Amino acid sequence: MNKLMSKIFYAFFTIFIALSAIFFVIRLSPGDPVETILGERAKYEEIVKLKSQLGLDKSLLEQYSTFMKGLARGDLGKSLFGAKDIKGLLKERMKPTMTLAAFSVTIAACLGMFLGMMAGVNKNKGFDKFSRFLSLFALSFPIFSLAPLLVFVFSIKLNLLPVSEWGEMKHLFLPILTLVIPLSAVIMRVTRNKYLEESNSQWVLVTRSKGLSETAILFRILKICLPTILNVVAIQLSVVIAGTMITETIFDIPGMGSLLFDGIQNRDYPIVQGVIVYSTITYMVIYFALDYINEKIDPRTAQ
Amino acid sequence: MMLRKKMTREMKSGFSIIGLYVIWALSWYIYKFFVAGTVAHPYVPELHMPLELAKPFSQGLVLGADLLGRSLLEVLSAGLSYSLTISLIVTIATASIGITMGYLAVKAPGWFRLGFDLAINLVFIFPSILIAIMIMAVTGQSMKGLIFALIITGWPGYAKIARGEAKRVLALTYVEGARAIGIGEIRLFFTVIIPAILPVMIVNMVLGISGVIISEAALGFLGLGASPYSWGAMLGGAKTVLLEAPHIAVILSVTMAGLIIGLNLLGDGLRDYLDPTEK
Repeated sequence: MNKLMSKIFYAFFTIFIALSAIFFVIRLSPGDPVETILGERAKYEEIVKLKSQLGLDKSLLEQYSTFMKGLARGDLGKSLFGAKDIKGLLKERMKPTMTLAAFSVTIAACLGMFLGMMAGVNKNKGFDKFSRFLSLFALSFPIFSLAPLLVFVFSIKLNLLPVSEWGEMKHLFLPILTLVIPLSAVIMRVTRNKYLEESNSQWVLVTRSKGLSETAILFRILKICLPTILNVVAIQLSVVIAGTMITETIFDIPGMGSLLFDGIQNRDYPIVQGVIVYSTITYMVIYFALDYINEKIDPRTAQ
Repeated sequence: MMLRKKMTREMKSGFSIIGLYVIWALSWYIYKFFVAGTVAHPYVPELHMPLELAKPFSQGLVLGADLLGRSLLEVLSAGLSYSLTISLIVTIATASIGITMGYLAVKAPGWFRLGFDLAINLVFIFPSILIAIMIMAVTGQSMKGLIFALIITGWPGYAKIARGEAKRVLALTYVEGARAIGIGEIRLFFTVIIPAILPVMIVNMVLGISGVIISEAALGFLGLGASPYSWGAMLGGAKTVLLEAPHIAVILSVTMAGLIIGLNLLGDGLRDYLDPTEK
């Protein structure tokens, strides 16, 4: 219980620090949202008026305390551009990003684990060598060079898919493929190495000598490997978040990544803060869930 | 004494691929310096405009021309030396900071460890692109800002590995032995700890170089690079003319992938070479 409390406290502390950091850094960095809204030739009076309307004329500490008070009530404020409610905006933009991330992580995890186990079982045989070669290639094309290549092959040469539209299921194919290729390669490598490490251990020998079928043994090894794989998936998640940002700008997907990118470019402070609030909380929740699941699967990780 | 082992095939091919790239970069410098007389950048849009988007092997250009009518071969070479330079500087800096911080995290008192964990978590929570964008917003789009941003986002990875390794090494008996002779803390760090953790760190540095090349190109792709010769920036431009001139994107991607493949091969090979347990 005590451990849980300290963990929760730590999570809140981290979120607090993250938010404070982003609050001050984005305000102290050059660039002014008011100037962006009004244009360069705005009159001084207009600028002063808009600033007081948006509450940007107050001191930094005052703005900070209003922000924190609002956050405590669950209020993230309004966008500086167009005065949209941040929560509504986030809800709207969350769907494409979540769909993209959920699909690609799930597919990559299944594919990576399957290929990794296959490679581990057939160690140093043809399949193993081939899949290692393939994963080396997959990891050598970063997302932003892979995406144009895939668009070139699938949309231009084969003329199978539209280039950058959003709304139907078939528009999901290329963005997901772009994210799945590097991710499944990473998961495949980890699974293979972990499998080889575990398959030599004593308990595998025991279960084999007791006459358990090879498939059953395989599943038991997979279960033991799962915590390691899930940890890697969690670390990769921050890579995926950054990855969706690039994928979304390439394929013109109206998601969180492009929202954040535009927010930073326009110095739309509330949008950036809102996205950071959501992504930090998501990250923390995933880490907690992961700890819990790993302890359930393999009690040894609790220590 | 360490036994001399045979280089693995992975290492050999990794070395030769990287060697080819380094020779390419060097010969470009030599060509620029001795033949053209200057290392200035090949950026003269007015002169080359008629060559815009020229196909490979046309109009006297081996690889064709890019969006602005620059010879693609020349631009690629400029980008190669640029990205090699940046990645080397950043990797050496991040690895040094990471090793020091990771070691301190093992040795230092509790409050330091807490702060260390927090700093690492923060860097992992924020998408590294976000951190880099923020830093570049403060420092402006300069080489200095870019290198600073890449270092800030890069050190926690090394620090985590260095912490684990330092923990392992500190428990070994020869560290105790060194202490028993009366070696000071600083000398212990430089003469005992560093040589012991260096093999693992070198493997990660080789893989880290390709990571830096990718991060730098990602920033360039989003329009946040420090140079128009960043491969990422060029890819960003090539993406917009994918229909008219796909060869630019293909050549750029394949060139970049080649370098990264070389580094990954070398890193993997080195890992197997230095790791005593067979995998």
